[in-house]
Amino acid sequence: MRIKLTSIMVDDQSKALKFYTEVFGFVKKHEIPVGEYRWLTVVSPEGPDDLELSLEPNANPAGKTFQEAMFKQGIPITAFEVEDLAADFKRLKGLGVVFTQEPTQAGPVTIAVCADTCGNLVQLYQRRRP
Amino acid sequence: MLTRSELTRLCRARDMLRETVEEPLSIRDVAREAAISPFHFIRRFQAVFGETPHQFRIQARLERAKHLLALSDYSVTDVCMEVGFESLGSFSDLFARRVGVAPSVYRRQIRSIVSVPEMLPRALYPGCLTLMGAAFAIFEKQQRAAAGRLRS
Repeated sequence: MRIKLTSIMVDDQSKALKFYTEVFGFVKKHEIPVGEYRWLTVVSPEGPDDLELSLEPNANPAGKTFQEAMFKQGIPITAFEVEDLAADFKRLKGLGVVFTQEPTQAGPVTIAVCADTCGNLVQLYQRRRP
Repeated sequence: MLTRSELTRLCRARDMLRETVEEPLSIRDVAREAAISPFHFIRRFQAVFGETPHQFRIQARLERAKHLLALSDYSVTDVCMEVGFESLGSFSDLFARRVGVAPSVYRRQIRSIVSVPEMLPRALYPGCLTLMGAAFAIFEKQQRAAAGRLRS
């Protein structure tokens, strides 16, 4: 058993593809139309190219309720590791990304939280270098 | 920075934009009701939710229209009025552009796959993992076709 695929619910797949590639800098891996939606995945250019994040259409009201409740409570739905959080924070802010938490030391990690424009808050974190 | 209080107010504005009422609030009034400066509202809303308040409201209406077409007995005209559009022509055009088919065709397609009456058709609410089988089948077919072209 392996972890090869994880997913994040997004309220609009086109918007999500734009944000996750052009702003977060991931690379599109698969885009296969299936009915009204798409099988849409991205990978990190810094990581293995077969470890995919699926941008999942959040059409189900149950998913929407969950996503909105988490957002309202200010809770990030997932987290991505970065090498240099201060640099990414600056770069993303320059691209218009809205943060709910600036880079903050939390024990051995520094974390920041931003809105992904698709209904989620996402945590970015940098681990302390050994 | 987006403060907790501003986040809460933006979420409240989003809820208001989704409401279907007889006389919907103007975007300016939504901002005022949510205690956000109308000047900053549109820009801030877009930065956080990726679309303007107006775009969000239109999308929310189309989503509701899809549900009504799938599950209610309303005519297409009634659906159009119920979700807040004033002109059937502009509703049908917009629906066709965004969803890919006209409202009446959408209704026919979605109803043909509803197996249990009153149950929400799964095609309306796919999870990504339910798309996986169909997507991989299409992907493999494309690869086979490409390999076939190479051989010939």
